[in-house]
Amino acid sequence: MFERFTRDARAVVKDADGEARRLGSRTIEAEHMLLALARREPFGLDHDEVLRALEAERERSLMAVGISAGDFAVPAAPVTPPKMAASAKVALERSLRASVARSDRRIAAGHLLLGVLAAETGTVPRALALADIDRDELRTRTAAWLDRS
Amino acid sequence: MPTIDLDLPRDPADGLAAVVELRRLADRLEDAEVVRALQDGWTWALIAEALGVTRQAVHKKHAKRVKELGL
Repeated sequence: MFERFTRDARAVVKDADGEARRLGSRTIEAEHMLLALARREPFGLDHDEVLRALEAERERSLMAVGISAGDFAVPAAPVTPPKMAASAKVALERSLRASVARSDRRIAAGHLLLGVLAAETGTVPRALALADIDRDELRTRTAAWLDRS
Repeated sequence: MPTIDLDLPRDPADGLAAVVELRRLADRLEDAEVVRALQDGWTWALIAEALGVTRQAVHKKHAKRVKELGL
């Protein structure tokens, strides 16, 4: 699968690993791919805004079971290389499917974003909704970017 | 003291998202507390007992990571 990846798409996967490490995560999740993609120009996402949205989503979810995240300012302990988790693997599979569906020969960063945005539920769509980022509109914009490039 | 709301989430999506975040928080807390215990001179056997898991399990999960810290 990786042989079809463009250089930039490979860099996104590597950067997702960096995002996971920076946040002290044991795993690389779809949200870390989203953060890596948000650092790139063409998609109109703001990295800090996405990070804040993910943090707000985390707090909201914990609050729903009566836990105030602020009470648990757990220091980020160093982690061993984070492992690719199911959410990220599924996003990669969906990127491949998005590429095939569009009859594209390669998998570019835009396909990775389409793969991440394909999730109907979970951390990514919840965080985007919380930040009032329209997922469908973002998908349309990303598809248009892929058409042009 | 923050108020604690003991109502369970009404929507399963909220409940499931809470599970994800609780696991993540528990993992993070475990990573940090194991390091702290070792720094305080706890043995692996004692840490395992406190966590309610086998010594092998806790060692397998954390040994490599804490070795990089020089503990």
